[in-house]
Amino acid sequence: MSEPTPSDDLMRYLDGELGPEERARVEAALERSTELQRELAIFRALKTDFQELSFHPGSHRRSVWDDVNVRVTRPLGWVFLTVGAAIWMAYGVYVFATTPADPWEKLATGAVAIGILMLLASVIVERYREAATDPYRDVQR
Amino acid sequence: MQPELERELIRKCKAGDARFYEPLVRAYEPSGLRLAVAMMGNTEDAQDALQEAFIKTYDSLQRFDLRRPFGPWFFQILRNQCRDMLRGRKAKFKVEALDEDLEQRPADAERGPERTRQRNAARDVLWRGLERIGTEHREILVLKELEGFRYAEIAQILEIPEGTVASRLYHARHALRDALVEMNVEHP
Repeated sequence: MSEPTPSDDLMRYLDGELGPEERARVEAALERSTELQRELAIFRALKTDFQELSFHPGSHRRSVWDDVNVRVTRPLGWVFLTVGAAIWMAYGVYVFATTPADPWEKLATGAVAIGILMLLASVIVERYREAATDPYRDVQR
Repeated sequence: MQPELERELIRKCKAGDARFYEPLVRAYEPSGLRLAVAMMGNTEDAQDALQEAFIKTYDSLQRFDLRRPFGPWFFQILRNQCRDMLRGRKAKFKVEALDEDLEQRPADAERGPERTRQRNAARDVLWRGLERIGTEHREILVLKELEGFRYAEIAQILEIPEGTVASRLYHARHALRDALVEMNVEHP
């Protein structure tokens, strides 16, 4: 690691990051150098100006918690929905497969179910692709 | 917030109970908003960045080491979020008129309109100075001067060696000073 330069020490002095020995060393250097004193005065003035800049968010400002809460709890909802739907579908397929019925009846019902699922999947994929490239996706309604 | 309470809340969040995340969000929201506004330049983008940062933080909690302080880790995520948004199309740093409720401090109102006007003018000059310096300079100044982080914490947030913090601060303060001189603002 490189040795701290006088300007690094000056910063650490200004920000109260030095131990007593280092402080004394910097103070001795300050006594010897008007240039260093001038720099310190400039940086102290800037520090004071920053106190003016500091601000406090108003108490009536809406917290981001509501939006954060919705977003962090949503995945759990999807997990429950997906697991529940998968169980129902598996059960439906099992019942459908084990129910005695005419093969043509099963074929037609199966084709309708598969068709609906395929259409649903294609709509979801399309919406997902659209959302990724939508230039207005961040515009709040 | 007490570190022990903070750790307990994080432990419960890690166990999957999002309700315990609310006190953490509310505790870090004001300082997070200050950093985000200073980095983004306007409250609207700052709130977006803050919201995304809180969500990313929650999603990453499983990887969080409970022996370390939460604040610098969260600010590291927030800082990266602000930088990503500034890099992308979502926002460019541009000083906009800050909302009244963000600018007003209770003490200002007590000191009268003239004091408030002076304070607002000083703040406006500094904002414009900050606008003129680069993101790297701006973020370290904000972390030190607005949030008062120690060098070790700044090093963690910015992912740089602790020995580099002083020199970065030196260059950032010089850059801001030069920007203010260009704007004809006098300093000693």
